[in-house]
Order: sequence, then C-alpha cells, then structure tokens
Amino acid sequence: MRESKSLGDRVFSLSAYFYLILFILFCLLPFWIMIIASFTDDIVLRQDGYLPWARVWSLEAYRWVFKGSEIRTGYMVTVFITVVGTLGSLLVMSGLAYVMSLKRLKWRNWIALYVFLPMVFAPGLIPWFITTRNLLGLHDNIWALILPMMVQPFWLFVLRNFFAALPSEIMESAHIDGASDATILFRIVLPLSKPALATVGLFIAVAYWNDWFLSLMLLDFAEFAPLSLIILKMVNNLQSIQDAMKYPGVSINLGDIPTLGVRMATACITIGPIILVYPFVQRYFVTGLTMGSIKG
Amino acid sequence: MTSLTKNLINSQSLPPTQAIAPKTNILQKTIRYIRANGILFLLGAPAVILIFLFSYIPMMGTVIAFQDYSPRTRFLSPWVGLNNFRLLVESPLVIRLVTNTLLLNTMFIVTTTFFAVTSALLLNEVRSTSFKRVAQSVMFLPFFMGWTIVAMVLFGLIDYQVGTINAIITKFGMERVIVTDKPELWPWILTTIRVWKGTGSGCIIYLAVLVSVDPQQYEAAAMDGASRWQRMTYISLPALIPVVILLVLLDIGRIFFGDFGMIYAVIGDKANLYSTTDVIDTYLLRALRNNSNYGFSAAVGLLQSILGFICIFGSNWLVKIYSQRRGEDYTIF
Repeated sequence: MRESKSLGDRVFSLSAYFYLILFILFCLLPFWIMIIASFTDDIVLRQDGYLPWARVWSLEAYRWVFKGSEIRTGYMVTVFITVVGTLGSLLVMSGLAYVMSLKRLKWRNWIALYVFLPMVFAPGLIPWFITTRNLLGLHDNIWALILPMMVQPFWLFVLRNFFAALPSEIMESAHIDGASDATILFRIVLPLSKPALATVGLFIAVAYWNDWFLSLMLLDFAEFAPLSLIILKMVNNLQSIQDAMKYPGVSINLGDIPTLGVRMATACITIGPIILVYPFVQRYFVTGLTMGSIKG
Repeated sequence: MTSLTKNLINSQSLPPTQAIAPKTNILQKTIRYIRANGILFLLGAPAVILIFLFSYIPMMGTVIAFQDYSPRTRFLSPWVGLNNFRLLVESPLVIRLVTNTLLLNTMFIVTTTFFAVTSALLLNEVRSTSFKRVAQSVMFLPFFMGWTIVAMVLFGLIDYQVGTINAIITKFGMERVIVTDKPELWPWILTTIRVWKGTGSGCIIYLAVLVSVDPQQYEAAAMDGASRWQRMTYISLPALIPVVILLVLLDIGRIFFGDFGMIYAVIGDKANLYSTTDVIDTYLLRALRNNSNYGFSAAVGLLQSILGFICIFGSNWLVKIYSQRRGEDYTIF
C-alpha cells in the first residue's frame, strides 16, 4: 500500500492509535491495580484503598500467601486437576474422535448425534446436581473436579474434523498392513495431530485452571479447595463484611479480614502461570478461536 | 513391524473383512460387528460413558420437573403432572428471569460485537507490526482470566471502603459511591466486564477475515483517491459484515446458555441486585444452595433448555437461509 500523506489520513491514523492505546490501557488497568496492590503495605492499603501506585512497598502479602497452608493446598489441587484433567480429556476425546473420523465405521452418524445432542439440549442444572451427587455419588472428591468436564463435545468435534482431514492413505495402508486401530491412533494419528492437540489441550487446561463451578457444587466437606474456590470465598467474604460496615453501630475487627494485599497476591499467583506461558502459546489459542468459526 | 505383533495380541478374533457375513439375524450381525471392531469400541467407550453419565443421566433426571421432589424419595417422588409449570407460569419470577437473560445477553452481544469489529478494523489499519502484535496480545489477555479473579479485581476497583474508584474520588472531595446499592448500574458494569474480557478474542476471527481481503482492492482504491477512512468503510467493513451476521446469529442461538458463571461469580448472593441481574442460571444455582423447591427449579431449568433449544434451531435456520443465499454453508448442523 502506498503511504498517503493527506491531512485526513493522518488524523484517521492518529485516532486509530488513540483508540487502540486507550483500549490497551483499559485491558491492562485491572492487572496493574492487582499487581501494585499485592506489593503494597497493608496498613497503607487500609488507609488509602487500592491506588494505582504504592506509597510503601512490601512483600508481606506474598510471604503470608506462601505461608498459608490453604493456598498452598489450593495451588496443588489446581495444578493436579489441570494436568490430570487436560491429559485425560485429550486421551478420552481423541479416542472417540478417532472412532468418529473413520469412514468405514457404520453408526458413525449415530455416535455424532449422541455427542451432539447434549450441545443443543442442555440438561438442567438441578437434575445434573442431583444425579451427579446422589446417583453417582461424586462429591467431596478430587475426581468430582475432573470427570464432569472431561468430555467437551465442541472440542471433540474439532478433533474429529482434524483427524478426518489427515491424509487417509497413511491410515489405510497401515490398516491393510494389519496395524490395529489403537496402533494407528497412537503411532500415526496423534503424532500427526500435535498442533490440534496443543490447541484443544490449552483451551481445556484454561477451563480447568479457572473452573470454580464444580468445586462450588460438589465440594462441601472436603478439606481441600482449588484456588478459584478460595478466591470466590474471599470475594463473598469481602462483600458481607462490606455490607455490614455500611450500617453504623456494627463494629468489625479489621484484623479478622484476610489482609487486603493477600487477596490481590492470591489473584496474582493464580494468574501467574497463565501469564508466564501465554506468550509462547498464544498462537495456538488464535488457531483454536479461528477453528471454532469453521463448521463443526 | 512391531505394530503387527501388537495387532495380533490385541484382536485375536479379527476376521479379515466384515463383508463375509452370510444371511444372519441382526443380533448376530451386531455381535460380529462389535467383535470385529473391538478396539474401536474400547477407544470410544470412555468418552461415550462420560457423556452418558454427565449429560444423558441428568437429562433423564429432568423427570423431577414433573414431580413433587423430596430428598428422601428422590426420583420416586410423587408425580404432580404439570403442576410445577403452572406455578411457573403464574410466578412473576420467571418473567423477571427471562427478561433479564434476554436483556443482558442482548447488551453483551451488541457491545462485544461492536468493540470487536471496531478494534479489528483499526488494528488492520495499523502499519507497525510490532505495535499490532503487542496490542493484540494485550487485548487477548483478559480472555484467560477466570471469573473469580475478575470478580476479585472488580471489587478491588469499586469497593466502598478500599476500592480504587472511591479512593480516587474522595481525594477530589467527592462522596463515596455505594455501587452495590445501585442495581441500575449493574447491567452496565457487567457489560463493561464482558467487553474487557471478550474483545480481544472476538477480534481474532475478524482479523483473520481481514487478512484474506485482496490487497489489490486497497491499492486500487488508493489510486482512485480514496482516503483511509473510505477504504476502511467501503472495503474492510463490507468484508466483515457476513461474518458479523453469522456470529451474531450463532450468539442469538446460545442466548439462553450464556456464560453466566460471570454473573454468579460477580453478583454472588447480593439480593438487592437481583432485580436487574438475576438470570435463569443464577437463580438455579441459588435454588440449589438454599435447598429450595427442587421440582419447581427443575421446571425453570427445563423451560430454559426448551427455550434454548428453540433458539438454537431458529438461529441455525436463519444461518442456513442467509448462507444459502451466498452460496455457502455455515450452519452448525
């Protein structure tokens, strides 16, 4: 494109940059507040509130976070469900996706319909809750945070489409040579599908990492909780205290509130791993979102 | 070949072809077919079972919408026919829930589409590739934040006592604002969060479309003296319109299944905000946690599933009509 230098174009170009920079600041502001607050001295936080700059810096919040056993357990739980859940999910889903991608299989369309139906007719929350807890007995258990999310029809279809698009000659000749379907899947199809697996795996990993719904629904008496549930409880705790403070005569001992810096430090360590790996895996997410727009 | 030996171990009974079956009844045929493809069934079974456990069994559990559910008798509770639905139709609650669901989702769809399209168009105009890359990465980043984190930071911003906004406005001598006492503000707050979280990811598809626009079109337009604004509005924007229409239709199809994890994580149990923010999912979550009338709540849930089902099929039908007119097929089924 030729660089044109008319006044109108320059104004346009400037306003485009202006809008984008504003939007970038809007996207960054919450992270900024969060990170600064986590490094601010707690007494200052109580006096000034969460300001965009710290008057007195402190590492106390992080020291406190790493001392607390609840958060350490939470971190381990979150890492465990993310790793085991993602690997399990990829394994289980690629098994069925492979089966569905085979053109020689009868019933292929019936299986596809079986997977597809829950996507359009979502079972209600209440029956899901009752059957999962009472019929399957899945609660207060680490698997309760993993199994219900393991098969996600949308990503299953994405994998199937990817497998089906692989050059079928390789698979067919392996089949004729007598390779079993398991061999074909693990030796040929999966190694050829690394980009698709990475993409799907990353989306699933983020879903596991951030999930709070399963732990809110299915953990009552467990002595462990993933980070997301700990944070949700902190938020609700903050709200109830704050509601009480609005009415005069109700005195709250500030020492009882988990310190303000600790909240933000917990949030920071929760998003930490995502931000660290994000630059390296961003392209997979971009592929995943573009894939999502293609017919499933 | 090692795979060959493995194959022999794995499937002793594998016949060379499936076509040798003589005239037998369907059952025998089926059994033979299953034996011939044993490994396939093993590979597919875990996912099939998981879907059955967490989607189909709960679907059957929907029967409690027609029962007077009690925790003791569970699925054998007495049948009450359509009683729960009669209560539901009479209750003002449902109207509020459906209105809020539709209103909030409409706001979300309109704003996120607007900002995603605008951002994609403007990013496309940026010459500096490094700026473009950084901008895209930063805008995409909120997509990865869990709603609990978002809620935590939101309250860090608007909290009565320590929130950034209140901390700053008191510096200018203004009164603190109790944001949690103003339900009328909350649809806008939720929309803002939605825009914050969804613009970067929404942008990506539009940018992919813009990349595929023939650069010669822009060059020809520039030759003819079109300004950059004109090139954007007459070339880039029309290229996006079909995708925008399709994505909006698909969003409308999912209007009853929006990501309401957000609303629950942010609003929680603040009853004074329900008037503008309570939607079907948050109501159901609360009903579960308060152990209220399960039969009635399940009826609300079933209503949601049915409305959602209608919406998906309706939108798919519209997509079909629209894409057929363009000679393409974007339908989801």
